[in-house]
Order: sequence, then C-alpha cells, then structure tokens
Amino acid sequence: MVSQQVPSLAVDVPVSGTERRRVWPRFLTSEHPFPWLAPITALILAFGVYPLLYALWLTFFKRNPVTRLNVFNPTWNWGKLFADERVWGAIGHTYLYTISALLIELGLGLAIALLLDSDRRGYGLLRALMTLPLVVPPAVTGMMFLLMLDGSFGVLSTGLVSLGLWSPQHPILASSGSALAGVLLADIWQWTPFMVLIMLAGLRALPKEPFEAAAIDGATASQAFFRLTLPMLSRIIALAVLIRGVDLFRIYDYVKVMTDSGPGTSTETLTSYAGTIYFKNADFPYASTISLFTLLLVIVTSSIFIKLFKVRF
Amino acid sequence: MHETFLQKRLRDVAAVLVVGMFMFPLFWWALTSFKPTSAIFNKDEIVWFNFKPTLVNYAVTMLGKSRAELAIDSGNTFGVGGASSYDSRQTIIDSLIIAVGATALTLLLAVVAAYALSRMRFRWRQAYLNWILSQRFMPPIAIIVPVVFMFHYLSLLDTRLGLIIVDTLINLPIAVLLMKSFYDDVPVDVDEAAMIDGATRLQIFWRVVLPMVKGGVAATAVLCFIFSWTEFLMSLFLTNSIRTLPVRITTFVTSTGSEWGFIAALGTTAVIPSFIFILLVQKQLVRGLTLGSLKE
Repeated sequence: MVSQQVPSLAVDVPVSGTERRRVWPRFLTSEHPFPWLAPITALILAFGVYPLLYALWLTFFKRNPVTRLNVFNPTWNWGKLFADERVWGAIGHTYLYTISALLIELGLGLAIALLLDSDRRGYGLLRALMTLPLVVPPAVTGMMFLLMLDGSFGVLSTGLVSLGLWSPQHPILASSGSALAGVLLADIWQWTPFMVLIMLAGLRALPKEPFEAAAIDGATASQAFFRLTLPMLSRIIALAVLIRGVDLFRIYDYVKVMTDSGPGTSTETLTSYAGTIYFKNADFPYASTISLFTLLLVIVTSSIFIKLFKVRF
Repeated sequence: MHETFLQKRLRDVAAVLVVGMFMFPLFWWALTSFKPTSAIFNKDEIVWFNFKPTLVNYAVTMLGKSRAELAIDSGNTFGVGGASSYDSRQTIIDSLIIAVGATALTLLLAVVAAYALSRMRFRWRQAYLNWILSQRFMPPIAIIVPVVFMFHYLSLLDTRLGLIIVDTLINLPIAVLLMKSFYDDVPVDVDEAAMIDGATRLQIFWRVVLPMVKGGVAATAVLCFIFSWTEFLMSLFLTNSIRTLPVRITTFVTSTGSEWGFIAALGTTAVIPSFIFILLVQKQLVRGLTLGSLKE
C-alpha cells in the first residue's frame, strides 16, 4: 500500500484526500455495474418476478370451496377460464373500452394540442391548467363523475335531461347500455390531458423549415397538417397509444368506484372480474388465472401493435 | 400559415372554452365540498351559488368533529348512518408517509441504477434496461394474489412499509427511464475530465454528475409522489386498517347513503398537494411523461 504511487495529476485536484480512497472496498471503486444495479434488481426479483412465477404456479391448483384447500390440478382453472362466459364478456368490455378510449383521447388530445400550441400570452397558463386532471387520484375522479352522473341530483345528468338529450328513466351509470360510456367519460376527462401533453411536446419539437417551404408553395393549413404534421408525429403517436393502451387494458379504479362491474356484469372488465373472484369467492387460484390471462393478452396485443406500427423506445 | 386577427380571437375563445370545460368538474367538486348536505341533494342548488357555504364537511373530515356536533352545526342529520367515523386525519398522515416513503425508496434505487445504465458500458445493458421497463407493462393485478400471500408471511400485510415496497415497485421503471434520460443529457466529457483528475466512479457520481441533474431528480420525485399518492388497486388489496386516501374516500359510499359533502371535502384535499407539485416542476414533467422519446 505504501509503495503505491499517486499519479502526479491527482495531487492538485479536489478529491478530498487519497487516504479515504484507499480504505474503500474494491467493488465500490471498480467499473463493474453490479453494485449499482444489485439493489434494484433484488427488489424487482423479490416483489415482481417471484410473485409472477408464484401466480403461475398457483393457476395449477384447484381450490376446494368447502375445505379451502388447494389441490394440484394443472388444467382445472384454465379449462374453467375458457368455458367462463363472464370472461368472454369481460374481454369484450375491456377491448371495447380500451379501443374507444384510445381513439377518443387521441383525437381530442391532438385537436386540443393544436389549439393550445401558440406562443401568445396566456397560452402557457392554459397548458398548465390542462395538465391538472392528470394528478387527481383516479379513485377521486371516479367519485367525482359518480356524483356528476347521479340520476337524481348529478349536475351532468340533470343537465342532459333538461336539454332533452337523455331520458330521466335511465340513469346513466345504472343502465346497462350506458354505464360503460359513463365510466369512459371519467377516463376521457382524466387522460385526454396526457395525450395533449405528449402531442404538445411533439408539436413543439417539429422542425420549422418544412412548414415554411410548404407555405411558400401555397399549401393550405389542412394540407400542411395531413402531409407534414401528422407523418412527423406518427412515431410519438404510436408510442403514446402503446403506453396509454397498456394502462387502459388494466382499467380498475373507475369501474370499481363508479359501477363495481354493474349493473349486472355490463361494465365488468378482466381486472375487475379478477378482483370480484378474489374478494367475493376467495378463489385465489382462479383469480390468479384471470390475472395472468390478462397479462398474456396485454403482451400479445402490445407485441402485435409494436410490430405493426414499428414502435421504438 | 399566418393567422388573421379574427382567427386569432376565435382560437383564443375556443382554447378558453375547452380548458374551461376540463376545469369544470374540479370547480364543481370543490364547490360541492362547501355545500351543506341539503344543497347537494337539491336540484336547484346543484350548480349555482344559491346555497349557504359551510365548512362543516372539512370540520368533520379534517378536524374530527363528531356527528352530534355536525348535526348541531348544520341543523340537518340527513343520511345519518353508514360508516361510523368520517375523521380522516390519520388517512392523510398515512398517505403522506407512504407516498414520501415510496418516493424516497424509489429515488434511492433508481438514481443509482440509472447512473450505471447511462455511463457504464456492459454487454447486457440494453437487455437489462428493457427488463426494467417491461415491469411497467405488467398489470398489478397479475401479481397481487401472491403478493398478499408473501406479505402475510412477512408480516407486511396492512402495514405502511408493505405499501411503500409495492409503490416503489410500480414507480421504478419510469423513475429509471427518466433518470437515465437526465443523465444522458450530461456530456460524458464531464465524467472523463473528473476521472483524469483521479476521481473514482462514486466520487464522480456523487460530487459531479448528481448535482448537475438535481432538477431531474426533483421532477422524478414529484412523479413518484403523485403515482404513490393516487395508487388504488394495491392499497385496496393489501390494507385493511391502514387506508390511503383513494381507498378511504370510497368507504364513504354506503348502502344507506353516500356522504357526498365529506367525499368532496376529502377529495378536494387529496388533489391539493399534487397540484402544487405539478405546477412547480411543469417543464421537466412534460419531458418525463413523454419518456424522453423526442430525442433522436
């Protein structure tokens, strides 16, 4: 140790003493990433990966509702899943909800982003206000819209009824035909701002030159939008759809708070069905099976999307 | 494509209208929190200001006033029943502990890991990053049943620490991605210069690079705080006596009637810290939400 020569360069630098460097364990001074990544890896393995494998293992057991014991029966839950009509209903609701929410939020988000993309005074404030719905807890948003859509004293319901747009005999959230749309409304209110934010960031990053050239060539605003803006935004649009789509697919908060899967099973999604099986039936293996099936659908659907639209991170 | 004067004014009007529409639910929600119960259930007083504002809802949810005091204060006992207590002070304290704890733990892990992912060159770097990000794609429901079992064995069920751990797990992928993009913005020359001067990796990280990404750490912290503060599913499954705000608020809806005044008061309170935070780090947050995807 004593014979180790300190390079002359190191003498006059603000590294506080070469003394301390010598007592550090070797791995702290090496270039190996292990010590930097070990803690995070350990946490994810313990509380993310292990439970996932455990969940998979659990799907191979049949729960006896009387003895409350799990018996090894590897095909039981999966057979039950594919024969379960409620699962198919839930898949339908989940896709219907996800796709309509994506289309509406994307369309609205792009339109509002174009509207707010201005450097004039006041627009910064408008953009800031527009982000506020994003930080409201989804459960609170659910409650908010539950109250607003209440059949007898909700501000939106009474407004629609007094405008003659809705019949008071069919409360929005209590009618099987419109309940999912009511839940969707809360989602749209909360997440359209997310699309606005992403689209605004995309619009602001666009190069100016092509637009100037197009203007000189006499292009109209709509031509510029469809030929220039949209193609240049396509990459970020695809990414936004992917991120939002994965989130939408596991919708839970709004459904749980606003309709609790009802009326009947008209707003039951895969996640809320798994929750019902867990809380009401305590059939943990089957709840795990539905959850893993949801994960499987997420993986398959998003992989197809990534391939189809060539999404890059 | 220069706008004419008329086009500009039309755009202004449209922009204000659209943003106003999005602000209306929040405005109305806050308004409801100041209404006496009678006004909430009266159609004529649903929107306008023809009601007598009251702080009763806040007094019950924040100060723990009893039902009897409430009845005297408002002269109205409509909807008595359901949950016996509406005092939510403990809920707010628990939610704060959990959100702050999860934010701290996430930062501790992500700030360190993202530095290595940004600066060190190792073979499985991209694969490792993808693996972390893939955790974000996993629906929490997929792991919830085993996590309940695990937490039962580890005595973490219905504890603040348990929720801190799962919230951290949920926050980690975004936090790592975000921090990595902030580190990537710092030129590698900075590290190399310090290295030539004889600094170790740890010294470069702690004394040189970390101070340069302070703003990024703040934005990441805000995002983590908001995610943990608003998290619902995990709290619902993993807790019983300890309630976070989003779960607690749903317990006010009972079969005998919903306490909308209390719900609105607690809901309005739930929104305030996030509003303040997001307005503070607005600019960096836009970066965060777009996941640095704008950089080529």
